Amino acid sequence: MSNTTNITKPMAGRFSPNLPCDTNLSTHGISARTFWIGWLAVALFLNFWTASAFGASVTIEDARGRKVRLSLPIKTVVALNSDILEILRTLKAEDCVAGVFSEVVREREFWGDLAQRPKVGSWREPNMEAIAALKPDLVIAYSRNPGQLLENKMALFGIQVLRLDFYKVDTLEREVRVMGQLLNREKEAVRFCDWYRRHLGVFREKIARTLRRPAVYIESYTDYHAAGPGSGGDEMCVLAGGSNIAAGLSIPYPRVTPEWVLSRNPEVIIKAAAYGNGYVLRDPAPFNKCRDAILKRPAWHHISAVASGNVHVMDSAIWTGPRAIIGIAHMVRWIHPDLFPDLNPEALHKEYLEAFQGIAYHGVFVSDNIQGGGR
Amino acid sequence: MSTNAETLCLRYQTHARVRTLFLASAIILLIVATTIGLCCGASGMSFWEIVSSLHRDMGRGHSIIWMLRLPRIVMAALVGFGLGLAGVVFQAILRNPLASPFTLGVGSGAGFGAVSVILFWGGGFQTYRVACGAFLFSLVSATVIIAVAKMKRASSETMILTGIALMFLFSSLTSLFQYMGTMEQVHEIVFWFFGSLSKAGWNEIGLAAAMILVPFPILLRRAWDFNLLASGDESALALGVNVNRLRMWAVAAASLVTAGCICFTGVIGFVGLVAPHITRMVIGNDHRFLLPASALVGAVILVTADTLGRTLWAPQVIPIGIVTSFIGVPFFFYLLMKRSREYW
Repeated sequence: MSNTTNITKPMAGRFSPNLPCDTNLSTHGISARTFWIGWLAVALFLNFWTASAFGASVTIEDARGRKVRLSLPIKTVVALNSDILEILRTLKAEDCVAGVFSEVVREREFWGDLAQRPKVGSWREPNMEAIAALKPDLVIAYSRNPGQLLENKMALFGIQVLRLDFYKVDTLEREVRVMGQLLNREKEAVRFCDWYRRHLGVFREKIARTLRRPAVYIESYTDYHAAGPGSGGDEMCVLAGGSNIAAGLSIPYPRVTPEWVLSRNPEVIIKAAAYGNGYVLRDPAPFNKCRDAILKRPAWHHISAVASGNVHVMDSAIWTGPRAIIGIAHMVRWIHPDLFPDLNPEALHKEYLEAFQGIAYHGVFVSDNIQGGGR
Repeated sequence: MSTNAETLCLRYQTHARVRTLFLASAIILLIVATTIGLCCGASGMSFWEIVSSLHRDMGRGHSIIWMLRLPRIVMAALVGFGLGLAGVVFQAILRNPLASPFTLGVGSGAGFGAVSVILFWGGGFQTYRVACGAFLFSLVSATVIIAVAKMKRASSETMILTGIALMFLFSSLTSLFQYMGTMEQVHEIVFWFFGSLSKAGWNEIGLAAAMILVPFPILLRRAWDFNLLASGDESALALGVNVNRLRMWAVAAASLVTAGCICFTGVIGFVGLVAPHITRMVIGNDHRFLLPASALVGAVILVTADTLGRTLWAPQVIPIGIVTSFIGVPFFFYLLMKRSREYW
């Protein structure tokens, strides 16, 4: 971020030492010292006046790689999805949240007071009028959803839009720093990024030293939809030291045949699931049921992962997004059980929720391990 | 016999030969399509491996053929058969070339039922629950059509208008439910509407076969009544056909067939409309031949579409609804251009 962010004050006054040589200041009874002090005062005044009248601005590279110029300060924000809202809470910027996406009410226990904030409609198709009525300084949305119409409509009301994803492991840190800078929460952003980088670094370092990359089939929410190249699941699998069998396909979420999965014979199967909200679950039964259904798929008993019981189901809360690191920790444990004997993803999750979200840890986020399968 | 009568007799015989030939060709095509489908797959088994796996338990290969490929192909054939059959029945009783299980709202009703179950009836999206929902609401659609038609004395226009209204109603409700769903539910709903044979298993095939094949001989027995209905309600009434009753139970039977087709596979909309037209263009309007032939053409289209869908971009699968349109529409246009006289 530091390379791309460029804070400028375009209307600031300018101090120029190049005055005309023939100006005889003393003839008007003003000493050279007084003149220079006067100019300095005028320049400082102009500087502060223009900064407050026109506002400072900052140029940000958004998730689409576009340079976006935003006026500062940013005091109120509308968060259009859960990843953004989670990062705002990480930065202790709850007070800035003027409006939230409507689906937030499904996870009242997780979001606490934030679930009470004014709703602006679905994350994919927000209500522009509701956003305009809140008059926020900034609307933050994913790079792809909602579409360009958001910028077009918000421009009519002078509302700025910034697109940041917060669900990609590679860009998360950069985007958190951007938000920290925009909201004057740089200290909080650095704290989170340090924590994140430290844990990710441990995985990266150990996995880089191992040559074995077990074949993994990662299935998205819908049955037989693999996590292909460019998907969050693929990114997590690579970071967890697995070899995604769908990595060579051409789209992020291809529908594949069960026969193809069988022919690739993965050693580990991991499926994403969203049974309501893992944070409020007390029982892993829904995840276990989903896992058992995978184990019973026709002819899949010939797959190594199924035969050894190395089949796991993971909640959407830790599947990509700011908490992807927790999901990666679980994956690491399933893919390389011997490499990290002491790794405890639940402890990591607890640390994150308590330190960065300010909420107590509870819930169920993965299926139970089968005796002898995985760990 | 006079020359005219001889000519008529000769023409009838020729036409009968064409129809029989068409039926035989459709059966052969279905066998060929099934065989090709059976030979295509991601595991790269050779033809002889497949043949030996069919009758001998050879472990992995046997499981692939009997648990993955065959159920899928049989389900495709069954669903295509059912959609082709239901399409002919709906077009016959409503005397409307645009009638099909989907333009009459039966498909939308089934879709709405499936979506309701996905959204409100527990996690896991178990196939049978979704199938129950789809079946229930396709019957709800059929019941509403029959009830409205009964009140308005079963005119074909009333039935079509009711069907269109139902289609819009259920489509809107389904869209509304999509907004309410979680990410996983929306994924499931969207792909249910693309249609898929990936969940086909022998248990599902058993139930679908009962719903599709049991009404078939009953409908075939009433082929003459459908023929008479083609000449108008008055003519059919004059020749002793109870038109209202025929419409009622034919709608119910065709709805049952439609529900059997889509409850396990999702919405595959194109076949039910086009298979009857393709068949009618070639062999004419005699329902004794049209009913089985259209069903067979539907089966051929769907088995071919499924094979193409899972091999063209392997190992990725192209949704079957997209493939049916890609192969069916050009062929349909070809027949439309080729046949200059009106066929309907």
